[in-house]
Amino acid sequence: MAIAWIALWVFSGLSGAFAADSAPQVTLSVARAGPRAVEALTQRSIVRDYRFAWNNLDLALQSNSTAALDGLFVGPASGWLNGAVQGQKQSGLRSRYANQIHKLDVVFYAPEGDVIELQDTAEYDLEILDGGKSLHQEHATVHYIVLMTPGADRWVIRQLQSVAQF
Amino acid sequence: MSWSINIVCCDRRRTRWGTEILLLLALAALGFAQDLNLRAPEAPVAGNPAALGTEGSGSATLYLVGPSNAAKREIELGKSISLSATELQSAGRYIAIVCSGNCTSVSFFVSPAKPANVTFLVHPSRAPVGQNDAVSGVALTFDEFHNLVLTPLAVEFQLTTKGSASVWRSAETRDGIAWFRTSSGRSAGPLQVTASLRGDMVARRIVQQVASDPCRLRIKGARTAKGIVVETEPVRDCSGNPVPDGTVVTFTAKSGNETSSVDAPVKQDVARATILAKGPVVISAASGVAMGNEVRIGGD
Repeated sequence: MAIAWIALWVFSGLSGAFAADSAPQVTLSVARAGPRAVEALTQRSIVRDYRFAWNNLDLALQSNSTAALDGLFVGPASGWLNGAVQGQKQSGLRSRYANQIHKLDVVFYAPEGDVIELQDTAEYDLEILDGGKSLHQEHATVHYIVLMTPGADRWVIRQLQSVAQF
Repeated sequence: MSWSINIVCCDRRRTRWGTEILLLLALAALGFAQDLNLRAPEAPVAGNPAALGTEGSGSATLYLVGPSNAAKREIELGKSISLSATELQSAGRYIAIVCSGNCTSVSFFVSPAKPANVTFLVHPSRAPVGQNDAVSGVALTFDEFHNLVLTPLAVEFQLTTKGSASVWRSAETRDGIAWFRTSSGRSAGPLQVTASLRGDMVARRIVQQVASDPCRLRIKGARTAKGIVVETEPVRDCSGNPVPDGTVVTFTAKSGNETSSVDAPVKQDVARATILAKGPVVISAASGVAMGNEVRIGGD
């Protein structure tokens, strides 16, 4: 019995550690993609770059530093996130997006491959803090419409717009 | 003054029933916090002011966290809290948090405003004539705050070339995007492509339609003092358009068992080359998949 409790304690401790440090989980479906088919290499690139972008979005909003956003977000998405970081900094706020799970659906891939539209059903633990005081905690499921375009060496996020539903 | 401050005051003047009083006040504070209800704005639209409903009394702190901003300000409970048009410019999910001792939050979505811009991507910038599905265009609809407008909208695509009637195509946006794909025309020249929304938001792009590959080659040649001068007739594609300067034509001369080749670019519709050969030769030409006629030139 004691061994079972110890095992449970160790396991729960480990899972907690994983949860705190885990990178965003991203899966991609191309079943609805069109008119252009999404090549396997492009699929891998999008998953990699989207995961990295959300990881850095979390870093930027935790640390109130826009440096982590550079090169990953462009256009309106960059403007919005920079605005969010500046607003947080001025208000003494911070946000954390922990335990992220993103389910991506490609809904449009341009004939020439220069823009891709995705629907992201994202789940995360969101915490908003004022200094050290936690103001808001929730496990949120949020839907995003995402526009990505190919950059020099990666896919970048041009639009990241949350919606009530798809 | 909040209930949490009252608890600290009482704790400093603790009576023999201090613990019980403290507990009662804490429960009262909890009850107060639970009464701190928030009402989200009804169907807020980007760039329009909205109001947040609060209940209770006294002062509190409002935090508004949105897609492109985060703000903090003092408010009076029990009153309607105005959210400015500037605070709500970005479509998406907002979280309003009101803290007075405890914190209560409510989330709401701001929807995009009416469409104001069409972003129009057209490919390619140069297209050979007579090619299937050679030209494509993607139109994205945005409001004035760069929010993607997701409600279905009718987009009219118009393709116009000089000397022929315009071609119209209608498409409805889906998740903010409408697109088309079409074949290139038969004549070289500019193809104007426009995307219009409600007739007043128009985006124009130009695709330069260029001649396709040479269709057939006709050559002629004559011996001169410097050698055999061969040249093509004007090189055209299968639609009769002159091919662009620089298109390479390969002339091949066969004399007995010897074969030699020379590449010559088309310049003002014609490609020319000089071949050095003394005996009788047979000269042919090729460009891409097009083969020309053979010309026989006798010896010196």
